[in-house]
Amino acid sequence: MGAFQRGLLAASLMAGLLGSAQAEDKTEALAITCNNCHGVDGVSVGPSMPSIGGLPESYLKNILLEWKAGTRYSATMGRLVKGYSDEQIADLAVYFSKKPWVPAAQKTDPKLVALGKKVTARCAGCHGETGNAGDGETPNLNGQWAEYLELEALKYRDDAVAMPNRQMRKAAQKLSEEEVKAVAEFYASQNK
Amino acid sequence: MSQFTRRDFIKAIAAAYPAAVLTIPSAHAASKARVVVVGGGYGGATAARYLKMMSPTLDVTLVEKNKTYTSCPLSNEVISGYGNIKDLEIGYGGLSKRGINVVIDEVTAIDPAKKTVALKGGKSLSYDALVVSPGISFNYAGVQGYTKELAETDLPHAYKAGPQTLVLKKQLEAMPDGGTFIITVPKGPFRCPPGPYERASQVASYLKEHGKTKSKVVILDANDSFSKKGLFEQAWKMHYPDTIKWVSGANDGNVVRIDPKTKTAYTTFGEHKADVLNVIPPHHAGAIAGATGLTNDKGWCSVDMLTMESAVHKDIWVVGDSCVHGELPVYAAPKSAHMASTQAKVAAGAIIAKLNGQPAPEPFFVNTCYSIAAPDWGFSVVHIYRAEAGKLVYVKDAGGISPIETPALAVQRKLEARYAEGWLRNIMADAFA
Repeated sequence: MGAFQRGLLAASLMAGLLGSAQAEDKTEALAITCNNCHGVDGVSVGPSMPSIGGLPESYLKNILLEWKAGTRYSATMGRLVKGYSDEQIADLAVYFSKKPWVPAAQKTDPKLVALGKKVTARCAGCHGETGNAGDGETPNLNGQWAEYLELEALKYRDDAVAMPNRQMRKAAQKLSEEEVKAVAEFYASQNK
Repeated sequence: MSQFTRRDFIKAIAAAYPAAVLTIPSAHAASKARVVVVGGGYGGATAARYLKMMSPTLDVTLVEKNKTYTSCPLSNEVISGYGNIKDLEIGYGGLSKRGINVVIDEVTAIDPAKKTVALKGGKSLSYDALVVSPGISFNYAGVQGYTKELAETDLPHAYKAGPQTLVLKKQLEAMPDGGTFIITVPKGPFRCPPGPYERASQVASYLKEHGKTKSKVVILDANDSFSKKGLFEQAWKMHYPDTIKWVSGANDGNVVRIDPKTKTAYTTFGEHKADVLNVIPPHHAGAIAGATGLTNDKGWCSVDMLTMESAVHKDIWVVGDSCVHGELPVYAAPKSAHMASTQAKVAAGAIIAKLNGQPAPEPFFVNTCYSIAAPDWGFSVVHIYRAEAGKLVYVKDAGGISPIETPALAVQRKLEARYAEGWLRNIMADAFA
């Protein structure tokens, strides 16, 4: 047996022993392609980009599949997720949901936060008082980036784009522009 | 630009990253091999970081000439005043803290047979695996009359962000109303395919904002088409009607010579007098790649498409702008920061696998490239490449450019302009933090 064959044998033995580790490696190799925009472990340091580490698995999976199917509007993500199989999407949702949720360190305006606290009373039913619903389905808003939240509201407020959640759409459209800002600042400030 | 300063960015990184350690596959833990990375741009920095993250016992050394890196992405926005160059600068302290040996020095020679790297400072580094990520070197002779000295004084190309970016910004600010700003574009492939056209947009944005509406921007192009053309032309028509003129190669746009004294650009048949002359000279793989014999007859490095290992020398991986990756001309990977980063991650995985005697992991390449054509007016192109039956395949069902016509056009463009900024913060942190 030559060195090459011995290497192959060793590699295939390792592969057998490390089957599950390899499956994890495979997901990791995919997940690191998300880091450029969403940060390592899904912890974003760019205010317009959401942190995704620690978001509920079902939320991540659904939103990715909706973008892929075109039933939910996105500016960029739809073109990206079309390059991933449904299985890869499911694996990525599991991968990022297992990461800890790290609220972003950001400055907020106390006046807007106070207004946001009042306005979000009507959101608490679904999103929890601090934006941390904890129901395993609703995305964490506590300590999410304010700029991202504000940009996301733009989508819900514009009827020309497809957004699947009618309740969210109605709620977002009722708000004034200042209130949208206030809601974003309030949730962003819940980062302790 | 949004009110997010360099200090905020550093704070955000500090808050985000103490916890950020990738899970370490047990099979990767044993290696104490030496890996040297040449070049500390997006490609090299990302490679160094991911090598160390994926295999913490690896001995990783990064060699870079400059103490501070200045991001090319978003540097056109500095020329217009939309962004600040300070927000594009980052050092290597984050990588040092991760246990990467950062050596500020210049590589003078690579010996692929002895597996050593010689440094200007006199030291020699030996390696088991080498990552070469030198970016680009300019071929000044490609435009007669243009020189490195001119680029560093009166006629900056500003196609490597840094002091030249600020010189060009000053020249734009000093240009009188009614002046002509000429950008010359070399024959492709060149780094940042939409770069010259984004620059033209940013210059026009500055002119509009400062009421210099009689001024013109002329792009003299050696090529007959360009990246995101439809998106740029739509933006120009909407935001700066009659300001920007694009002259294609077929319409005698190829600049062969300049007169630096009169700031005149000469094409085969015509001449164009400028108030600000911005020559982007042709370029090729960074000089050290050529000196090591890693380049092909076009001056770019050929690589194994699935691993990024050099097609010429074993145990050398080439990532970033210096390599040619994918099928030319249509499905080749663009020379972007995002592509350099995704290639670096694939190379890191392939290097560790090879050092451990394992087959290379299945690669997956993603590119997202944003351009900002006006305030809150951005768009992108997305590319995805994956392996199929041992070959690199451009995934045609995915990717592509932002929609040109869409019911909520202003929302679409605003989102992507803002995403460009968030992307920058994250890709910088991904490479350097």
